[in-house]
Amino acid sequence: MSERKRRIGFVGCPPEEELAARRSQDLVDLDNLVEGVEPRSESVLPRTTCRIIRRILDNALALDLDEVLIDEGYGKCDAARGLAEVLEELVDVPVVRTQNENREGAGTPISDSNLPLRRKMELILDDLAKPERLDLTPEPDPPAAIWGVPAADFAIYDLFPDGTQVLGWTRCLENRTPADWRLEMSVPHDAPTVFFAQTFCPKNVVASHLARRHGGLHVDVDGVMSQPVRAKIEAFLHFKKVRGRVR
Amino acid sequence: MALLGDFGTSWTKLLNTGSEEPRVLPTKDAHDITADIATGHNARRRAPRHVNELIALAQGGERLIGEEEFLLLDVGSRDVKYVRLRRGELVDMDWTTTCGALTGFTLELLGRYYGLDYDAVEPSKKSVSVTCGVLGMEQLFELVSQGVPESEAVARFARGIAMNAYRFIGQPKTFYLSGGMCENRLFQHSFPEKVEVRPLGRFVLLEGLMVELTRATRAGTAG
Repeated sequence: MSERKRRIGFVGCPPEEELAARRSQDLVDLDNLVEGVEPRSESVLPRTTCRIIRRILDNALALDLDEVLIDEGYGKCDAARGLAEVLEELVDVPVVRTQNENREGAGTPISDSNLPLRRKMELILDDLAKPERLDLTPEPDPPAAIWGVPAADFAIYDLFPDGTQVLGWTRCLENRTPADWRLEMSVPHDAPTVFFAQTFCPKNVVASHLARRHGGLHVDVDGVMSQPVRAKIEAFLHFKKVRGRVR
Repeated sequence: MALLGDFGTSWTKLLNTGSEEPRVLPTKDAHDITADIATGHNARRRAPRHVNELIALAQGGERLIGEEEFLLLDVGSRDVKYVRLRRGELVDMDWTTTCGALTGFTLELLGRYYGLDYDAVEPSKKSVSVTCGVLGMEQLFELVSQGVPESEAVARFARGIAMNAYRFIGQPKTFYLSGGMCENRLFQHSFPEKVEVRPLGRFVLLEGLMVELTRATRAGTAG
């Protein structure tokens, strides 16, 4: 009889060696949407908590985990560090605290590929639990770019044309260098760029600043994307004459 | 001939391109109407071709305003949005449904509740803080309970909405105003004194759809 796999939830981008040591188990990215999970974090977290932190707690409370692995290094915010404390109190399993200060880039072929943006995001996130060798075609002239962290509502990515470049913390995530501030701040070309952060996330300060500096659009979304945010992105891409296949 | 529709939260504006005048009806009475090209909060379900509100606003503004650079603020019943264009290029835009939410709708509601004629209500230099329609209304009722005349309390509410919208667009010296609130004299005169407000009426988004219709006709995809 085969041994039951342990279900291990992870938060953020823990060091590769920590993830690699657990890949034979059932690794679940707690930052991601898990269908059927009931929202229970509202009774624990302040209303000004970002949607991803809420989601992590909702998932951790619902998924019957054996262990939680959390990155609470420079690449994460105080809310994530605080969440580690909350999890230790509320989830009766070991919470393994790690700090990912890696600076050796694994590369960003997904971020720079010609794939549809939603697919890029799925691949970047899935790659943490199940790394795959991918045969990707680079996009030499990205029609647009999106800067920021992964969104709670992936519908935002459907507004962009194929080949849209991924920048910001999500790019750092693919590169496995979540604490690389220089890479996070880098906006390498003048393609029309949308600067995205979760509502209530401190990254909005940077997003707004970079949007002004690069003539981009700053948007923040709390959970499901609203009609005004959708319209702002559509209008921004329209007026910047961004062409390409939008799905 | 085509039917263009701006399906807002409270009001629907329709223009049959074969007739001269656009018409307005409550959105709740427009459920069975479908247009050829539509914009507005409820547009996606109302026409095969949909133009988002900010694009329609910008296109309408360009069609109506013959200036190289302009800022156009649209205050509807549910939200506040603006575009700033320079030589056809987008300089800035924003749209909020949270701060300033339902302010226009609430002003309409208050007018009916107190039986006010907004053409006759004197604007106030005082304002209440209107972060959203509901919170603003709470303050308004508080003023009335303190003995402030109802029309003055509502005027302060209108001033609060105007000041909010004015700060939202970056406090320019001159701007164009469109949307349902454009026809409310009290609101129009509730902006800061030395600011020039140029009303464009409530059919600017329909003008923007005319641009879209021309484009579709040229491409052979209209109707």
